[in-house]
Amino acid sequence: MSQLEIPEFLDYASWSEALKDGTLLGQECADCGHQTAAPKAACVRCGSRDISTVELETTGEVYSESTIAVSPIGFDAGFQIAIVQLGEAKTVGRVSDDVEIGDTVTLSDVFEHEGQPSPVFESVEE
Amino acid sequence: MARASIVGAGMTKFGVHEATLPELFAEAALPALDDAGVEAGDIDAFYLGNAMGGQTENDTHLAPTLASHIGIAGVPCQRFEDACATSSNAFKHAVQDVESGLHDVVIVGGVERCTPETGLGTGEMTRIFASASHRQYEQPTGLTFPGVFALLTKRHMFEYGTTPEQLASVAVKNHAHGAHNPRAHFGRDIDVSDVLDSPIIADPFHLMDCCPFSDGASAVIVVSDDIADEFDAPVDVTGVGHGTDIVPLADKPDFPSTMSARRAAEQAYEQAGITADDVDFAEVHDCFTGAEVMASEALGLFEDGEGGPAAADGRTYIDGEMPINPSGGLKAKGHPIGATGTAQLVELVEQLRGDAGDRQIADVETGIAHNLGGDAGTTLVSVLEVRA
Ligand SMILES: [Zn+2]
Repeated sequence: MSQLEIPEFLDYASWSEALKDGTLLGQECADCGHQTAAPKAACVRCGSRDISTVELETTGEVYSESTIAVSPIGFDAGFQIAIVQLGEAKTVGRVSDDVEIGDTVTLSDVFEHEGQPSPVFESVEE
Repeated sequence: MARASIVGAGMTKFGVHEATLPELFAEAALPALDDAGVEAGDIDAFYLGNAMGGQTENDTHLAPTLASHIGIAGVPCQRFEDACATSSNAFKHAVQDVESGLHDVVIVGGVERCTPETGLGTGEMTRIFASASHRQYEQPTGLTFPGVFALLTKRHMFEYGTTPEQLASVAVKNHAHGAHNPRAHFGRDIDVSDVLDSPIIADPFHLMDCCPFSDGASAVIVVSDDIADEFDAPVDVTGVGHGTDIVPLADKPDFPSTMSARRAAEQAYEQAGITADDVDFAEVHDCFTGAEVMASEALGLFEDGEGGPAAADGRTYIDGEMPINPSGGLKAKGHPIGATGTAQLVELVEQLRGDAGDRQIADVETGIAHNLGGDAGTTLVSVLEVRA
């Protein structure tokens, strides 16, 4: 990603547009330092509205994971979901190869369902 | 002094029902009224739990519809929705109303149909259940509700060494309890290998780690403390705590602690003037086996990390040191979403009255209900006690 315009206030439309383009944006709170990958109107930890848009780290550690065998209608089955710690933020995403808690993963792709994107991670050899 | 008393309780068998939502609700509500010995005209208000009727059956504005069906049309009535914690939240409002003096006699109940009787298959129902996860930041991944609790439980396993066998033992125990509950969806004896040999739904959960899709209804009659002695068998409500946590899941600081449950338990215990040591038994929200393990720790019934070993050691059976889910829990009794919270209260009432038959726990005076909604974003904890 190079020429992305980082919006001052991050809403879902600009978050999803950036993600479809390969950039995972988030928010950082000026008052408590909390980072999130799920943009909101105020900081979810302290309520502050002094939050700015940031590019999140793209490599991090698997905090939890599960392989979903029975999926909602409209989705394929047998995919792995992970909660990934990216610096100060955690995000949910899909994983393209088999990972365990503690593994290092990096943003590798974007999964789209009915026009809505989710980050996809793959493991990194250490 | 109690915050309120429950003077009547009723519920349907949980399982598969052809009856419509109003008909099904009447099968719980009318027995609750009869149990309390109150007439329709005595009811001052009605609070209803129904989580998904709009999505599953194209049926909304249910409170006045059900009120009309059971003969209490015209009273103030309202539907609550808080995912699986729906009817406990309705109950909280009933308790507040009689405590404040606004009303004297309130009926609270829940009804839901989740089986293919709704016309919906597993994939469609799995999608509807997933609507309780974040619409923008979670649902597009294909995350399911078994998946949400799998993510919570896997982290618990990582931090504390909780094993699949320990999780399975929760299901084994709840099925054993359910075998003594004539209203349970499932009541057969199973063993740990039956659970571990069943198909994976979302690892670490096998099919038999998961509660079923059920239809059913439940109801209780809540009255103010000052008139409770006018009824035959009041059971006191001494605390109702209501905790919430951050949604979506990824923004929760810590997974295994289920903070909403800890907040709700702290409030409920403080109101009741008790600690976890005073609790004789608990009905907890075992939508998945891992959820019961985390609940037993969040409620302070076991130390953090000890919930799994306690289950595997048999300490949570009816005759154990801390009986959990004598009804069979969601796992065996069933989980008709909006009916689950008040059904937990029905079990507490029967146990505290000494009316629980083959599943009666000896010498119980204080019981708690833990009813969780969504990804543990909501939890209500209620404390019920034998009336002093
Ligand atoms: Zn903040």
